[in-house]
Amino acid sequence: MATESLLQTMQLQAAPPDNIVIHAQGLTKQFGDQIAVQDVSFQIPQGSIFGFIGPSGSGKTTTVRLLAGIVEPTAGEMRVLGTSPMKFTQSTRERIGYMPQLFVLYPELTVWENMNFAASLYGMGFRRGTRLNELLDFVELGEHKGKLGRDLSGGMQRRLSLASTLVHDPDLLFLDEPTAGIDPVLRRKLWDHFDALQNQGRTIFVTTQYVGEAAYCDFVGVMAEGRLLMVETPEGLRRRAYGGEVVDLTLKERISFERHLQPLRQLPFVENGKVVRTGENSVRLIVDEASTAMLELIAWGKAQNIEVEAIEEFLPPFDDVFVEIVKREPSNG
Amino acid sequence: MGDFSRFLIRTSAFLSKEIYEILRQPRLILSLVVGPFLILLLFGIGYRNEARALRTIFVVENESRLAEQIQEFAGSLGEQLIFEGVTPDQEGALERLRRGEVDLVAVAPPDAYETIRNNEQATFTLLHNEIDPFQADYVQYFGQIYVGEVNRRVLRTIAEEGQENTVPAGDNATAARTSATGMREALERGDVQEAQRQQRQLDRDLDALELSVGASAGLLAGVQETLGSGSEETIRGRISTVRQATTDMEEIEEGQESYDEEAQRAAEIETELGALESELGEFNQIDSQVIVSPFRSEAQSVAEIQPELSQYFAPSVIVLLLQHLAVTFAALSIVREVRQGSMELFRVSPISAGETLLGKYLSYLLFGAVVAIILTLLIHFGLGVPMLGSWVNYAAVIAALLFTSLGYGFFISTIVDTDSQAVQYAMILLLTSVFFSGFFLGLETLWEPVRVVSWSLPATYSILLLQDIMLRGTAGTPLYLAGLVGLGAALYLLSWILLRRKMAHA
Repeated sequence: MATESLLQTMQLQAAPPDNIVIHAQGLTKQFGDQIAVQDVSFQIPQGSIFGFIGPSGSGKTTTVRLLAGIVEPTAGEMRVLGTSPMKFTQSTRERIGYMPQLFVLYPELTVWENMNFAASLYGMGFRRGTRLNELLDFVELGEHKGKLGRDLSGGMQRRLSLASTLVHDPDLLFLDEPTAGIDPVLRRKLWDHFDALQNQGRTIFVTTQYVGEAAYCDFVGVMAEGRLLMVETPEGLRRRAYGGEVVDLTLKERISFERHLQPLRQLPFVENGKVVRTGENSVRLIVDEASTAMLELIAWGKAQNIEVEAIEEFLPPFDDVFVEIVKREPSNG
Repeated sequence: MGDFSRFLIRTSAFLSKEIYEILRQPRLILSLVVGPFLILLLFGIGYRNEARALRTIFVVENESRLAEQIQEFAGSLGEQLIFEGVTPDQEGALERLRRGEVDLVAVAPPDAYETIRNNEQATFTLLHNEIDPFQADYVQYFGQIYVGEVNRRVLRTIAEEGQENTVPAGDNATAARTSATGMREALERGDVQEAQRQQRQLDRDLDALELSVGASAGLLAGVQETLGSGSEETIRGRISTVRQATTDMEEIEEGQESYDEEAQRAAEIETELGALESELGEFNQIDSQVIVSPFRSEAQSVAEIQPELSQYFAPSVIVLLLQHLAVTFAALSIVREVRQGSMELFRVSPISAGETLLGKYLSYLLFGAVVAIILTLLIHFGLGVPMLGSWVNYAAVIAALLFTSLGYGFFISTIVDTDSQAVQYAMILLLTSVFFSGFFLGLETLWEPVRVVSWSLPATYSILLLQDIMLRGTAGTPLYLAGLVGLGAALYLLSWILLRRKMAHA
């Protein structure tokens, strides 16, 4: 699907222009002969979490670096916090937090010294101890303040990077794979914190290889081979992956083609007749809307004198959703 | 918080960061501070400011009289000649030279006497196996010194022979003076016959005197004419004057009313001969060494002190160490931020290129100052290197040196892509400084256009300034300090421009 049409389908279109924190139009970045990002367009409203998912090398990091003003685009237009990243002023930069994909803090400095350095970069006053302690406690590094950067595990380094990014309490956060190498419990905690930041009106642009984390986002952009395949809500993503919502139906009798499958495929709310047998007594249906479809199915059972044992909406894991999407749109969507 | 406060905070970010990073590497500190001090100490202990002694074998033809004289002279020519013997076998001597058993083969001139008689200098040929141009020059210089010494010894022998001849000349002068005295006394008494006898005796004595003075009088006359005031008469001149006076007296005749005039002349002859007698005596007393080498040199410095070699080099070593330290740290600084990825943080953060550079300058200046203090204390109290000038001037030069050296380092750091390139450039600068800064070779030995390289090095200015301050007790040439600071300011500006580009978008 073309990016422009994606834009048109986005619910974000309704957002007023002054609420748009990030605007990208036809963004392209080429390194020599290699195109890293091609014709990417999207908008992100203030106070949202925008997840960028895609396989390694798909152009996620380059997009983040473009938006953060680290690299200059080959073509296209972008505005971040109302300014072109190429013309960021110091006050604009003070509103931005950037967490790179790799650990770029200093291995010879302690956790505390690294935090202090990051705080100084943003001109934070010297009465910053409480803030630093809070952040270190939040990322569970409070007891490792004196540890050198080089002695931290990979996960601890990620947490230190995240804490350093948050130190100046930015309005807009660019987080490039912040949860990579972090255990599931802390990951969940971090996402809770992102939610809290969002509730305070912060905007978060986050890339991740954990496709399941898409569920925590307000909007998800799917990147593959430098192209933005789609921008959707997590639910919309599932719908786009399977062509509708998924309902699992289990009957008390053995399913047969004539009595069950064929009539089900002809039901009007079943999308394109998509009914798949998943067991002796169970089928999976792709429907337009799960909640209404389930009621319709119960009614259909009664009318056909077929006893329904269970009916429920199936929420496929985002890993599966992502695989489906990439399968369906192998090159550029 | 105001913009200026934020500026200060952002700049200070590097102050602690760089210092902490350095302090976390104690081995680095040891190698940068203690290591160079130990090298200097070892150099001071180990260096011997003495000319190299050459093991020398002489090749002299069989039956040559020179062999005997070389045997006699060689052992006492000086400490730099280790006498390895005399041989007629030149090939054998050369083989020993090739094997490194001797350093020098001195081939004596064959038929030296014949050569000299033919109005030519006889040549000692010095064969060596040196490839080092400095050592080859040293051998040449060594040869000149020692042949000069041989020549002096030959002259001394001649002079001693001349002095031996002056002993009978002195006796003859005494006899002539005695005859002149007898003649004067006879004339004063009016004893004409005795006066005539004494006059004849005086003539005979003068003949003998002329004959005995011979070559020694010529030698003394030469010394007198070359070095004397010019107003004094030579020995030959005095003899000639006396001879003329006796001739003028003619034969003393009998029956004159008065002999006062003749007596007066006899008295004059007596005085002249007395002076001649005295001069011959003095000549005989002069050491033959003084006659052949009447002059020697004795250098006296008007400088306040005459430092030892290690003390003299101490300011230069401090300069080179601090320059290298500052250049290396600064050269690695920015390229490491780029390689490590920290530069990405700077690009996104509000910190500017100017704040980054200033912060790094301040941190390294602080670190360099601490190292400079430690090194200075070590060499001042440890090695006893004096400080005759003002500590304030010294501190100003060190600060300017660090500032300018950091400029070079940051310039390097903004143009290289890797750590190893940065280290290589820093090493090239060190090597250039060793050769062109006046560290070993004086600037005056360099071709003038090449001195542009020298004056583009912080070390050149700083070595001159620190030597003046520490070892002469002066403030140094203000122009040098201005040049050093000016160079540093230009490098700061250049580094800032390049860093701005680097911190801009990729």
